[in-house]
Amino acid sequence: MAARAETVAPVSWKTGRVASWLVTVDHKRIGILYIGTSLFFFVAGGILAVLMRAQLATPNETLLTKNAYNEVLTIHGTTMIFLVVVPILAGFGNYLIPLMIGARDVAFPRLNALSYWFFLLGGIVLYSSWFASGGAAKAGWWSYPPLSELQYSPGRGQDYWILSLHILGISSLLGAINFIVTIANMRTRGMTWMRMPLFVWSILTYSILLVVALPSIAAGLTMLLLDRNAGTHFFIPSEGGNPVLYQHVFWFFGHPEVYIMVLPVMGMISEILPVFSRKPIFGYKAVAFSTLAIAFFSLLVWAHHMFTTGLPVGLDSFFMISSMVIAVPTGIKIFNWLATTWRGNLHFDTPMLFALGFIALFTIGGLSGIFLAAFPVDWQVNDTYYVVAHFHYVLFGGSIFGIFGGLYYWWPKMFGRLLDEHLGKWNFWLMFIGFNVTFMPQHMLGLLGMPRRIYTYSHGGLWEGYNLTSTVGSGIMTIGVLLFFVNVWRTHVARKGVRATNDPWLADTLEWYTTSPPPPNDFETVPYVTSARPLRDLRRKLAEQT
Amino acid sequence: MRRKLLPVFAFAIAATLLGAGAAAAANGGFAPQHPASPNAQGIKTAYWWIFGFTAAIFVLVETLLVVFVVKYRSRGRSRGVEGAQVHGHTRLELIWTAGPVIILAIIATVVFIELPGIRNAPAATNALHVKVEGHQYYWQFDYPNGARSINTLYVPQGTVVDLDVTSADVVHSWWIPQLGGKIQAIPGRVNTTWFQAAHTGTFSGQCAELCGLYHAWMKAKVVAQTDQQFEVWLKTAAHTELGQAEFEGVCATCHGMQGQGGYGPKISDNPLLTQPSGLESLVEHGRGKMPAVADTWTPAQIKALENYVSKHVYTGAATSGG
Repeated sequence: MAARAETVAPVSWKTGRVASWLVTVDHKRIGILYIGTSLFFFVAGGILAVLMRAQLATPNETLLTKNAYNEVLTIHGTTMIFLVVVPILAGFGNYLIPLMIGARDVAFPRLNALSYWFFLLGGIVLYSSWFASGGAAKAGWWSYPPLSELQYSPGRGQDYWILSLHILGISSLLGAINFIVTIANMRTRGMTWMRMPLFVWSILTYSILLVVALPSIAAGLTMLLLDRNAGTHFFIPSEGGNPVLYQHVFWFFGHPEVYIMVLPVMGMISEILPVFSRKPIFGYKAVAFSTLAIAFFSLLVWAHHMFTTGLPVGLDSFFMISSMVIAVPTGIKIFNWLATTWRGNLHFDTPMLFALGFIALFTIGGLSGIFLAAFPVDWQVNDTYYVVAHFHYVLFGGSIFGIFGGLYYWWPKMFGRLLDEHLGKWNFWLMFIGFNVTFMPQHMLGLLGMPRRIYTYSHGGLWEGYNLTSTVGSGIMTIGVLLFFVNVWRTHVARKGVRATNDPWLADTLEWYTTSPPPPNDFETVPYVTSARPLRDLRRKLAEQT
Repeated sequence: MRRKLLPVFAFAIAATLLGAGAAAAANGGFAPQHPASPNAQGIKTAYWWIFGFTAAIFVLVETLLVVFVVKYRSRGRSRGVEGAQVHGHTRLELIWTAGPVIILAIIATVVFIELPGIRNAPAATNALHVKVEGHQYYWQFDYPNGARSINTLYVPQGTVVDLDVTSADVVHSWWIPQLGGKIQAIPGRVNTTWFQAAHTGTFSGQCAELCGLYHAWMKAKVVAQTDQQFEVWLKTAAHTELGQAEFEGVCATCHGMQGQGGYGPKISDNPLLTQPSGLESLVEHGRGKMPAVADTWTPAQIKALENYVSKHVYTGAATSGG
């Protein structure tokens, strides 16, 4: 019967191997598309980073021209922020949010697909700027005018950069609205706000921040675009414009952006740590509310990026205090995570190693941030390699380590096979050691007077020693990252990966209730949720019955 | 396996501490550079206070992390064995909320105590007032008597120097690490900062805000001299050296120290160097890729450049030229 029915029905082109991915509105497939595309750009941005480190390995190096170096640093920063960390978190959110809240998809599946394709388009536009007249954008990822104005950046690269960020902004806005509506409306029976997984809390907060902050940069970019192409002069002082306005508008977005890139990773850590400690999270409410508190305060600290702009001391003082206030909820999280491991039964699988690595490194990034918040000290270290070291501890040691933890943790759910643990541990340790060797010396370089964004230097001595060390570290880190891709190859192409059960880690949240990978509609049934750890409840119930 | 690794770890830690100790002794980048001005001193004091508190927190967090990792490792317990099902502890959580608040309040207080000494120049009747103007890619200094210098700021040692910092084109950032913090040079806006050189000598720094292709080479020096030396410099040398300083600080960036060419074309054989009006128009308005480097220069300055390049850079026209 069934066979005959199949021959009658015309086979739609949409079911093809490639076409089915092009037309998909399934949140899981869109999530995987997001993650895959972001990893591609991660490799591209990583290559740019290694090029910069090679150029700076020794004084007066000539690997890159000064023009190429400025292009590379601009595209590296823009890539890692807009094409890697933000979208890969959108990818995890896409894949996991419906599963974690027991829904069958997001609220607006088509909008979701649109959001992904805009992301891809934005990436393509940014990377095609290499072929623009005058080359890629080269005014840095924050592109301060007047340097980014037509007079000083005459090529088309800067316009491609603006267009790309506009497209990516729309993509993120669509995604964010989708997440908010999904989380507010589609939680399964029994999942109250206080029973939501902490990752869901963090994606909700990420989405709210995107909705609040993105319009600001959209406005700034539009003004810059008009200045460059329509003869306006918002930021051109000789015509009555004010370049400091751009700095405010940019950082009003730019600082929340940092938390947009970190909060969901903190959510991942709050999922991984309890599972591998065999404990509940310590202080669920404190962790959830500190997420919201960080998001709120992140909207009030933007001018700490502008302490050297020459603001009145009163404003500097306000922004110092508001920045320091953020350290409090951040500290709460760190201590709650530590307490989560206390008296646990710790299993050091790769996701756990990355989560612990996150705590170790993010703490350093957070503490160096206190120096930067103290504005007189910032006057000394602002715009030096000290800042480069600081934000890489936050965004690489923090976000990227957490994301790798998330990849190892949810990989079996997404693809049905476990990544290799042996390779995973090498992956972690090489990244961890390489990361510290790369970025720890950069603190010293900054204090020794090395500014950011210089394509070369002529100092020998410690400048040379620390720079060379940093470059060696970046090589070690590169090998570590490559091992991840070797691991994926080994697991799937060489088919050596172990098949995953529904719940290989004995985890707590609903995504582990369904099969690995889940069916198109996610769940046959969803159990009634009575706590923040529905799967543990089920396991206990089963144990009682037998 | 674990036993074998122990000596390796011990060695690694010892080597790291030894290296760090040696570097710290030589101030290898563990604190801001040796201050030579009261504001830089104030910043360094604040830095060490913050360093003390953050180092303590660092040691606390990382130690707890390592201790818990070692102490609560599974030791062969299966995944099914649960750890202590502790959901939280309100009093503990309040402690690690209040603790950081207190520490941050202390840090903020230290900053506010140090702030006046960093931000405000000491009251002085004989303060020297200099206007600093950032250009792609040089610094220009204007002295009260109308003298101008390029890239090197000459000051008398011990005198309070007030700086009005601005820019002629894009955003730059003025920074001499030993003489205090940075301040952005923003077109259309005048920012102020100051320093007071504690001893004679040369203090170097470089532009700290990406300002274009030659950002890496936009360097500045402050030369602190005795009062007499400074007076002599201001009255005579400032004028006799100006042409050379302009050529080396402005033209040579692209055209090379001998005008032999580099990013820009070779100019040592270009007869334009001997043609005042042509040269003036070129440096004031720019042409093609060449920016209007001298758009804020005085006639005396242009004259000084003309004098210098026609005598010291021009080596005769190329045979094919005319």
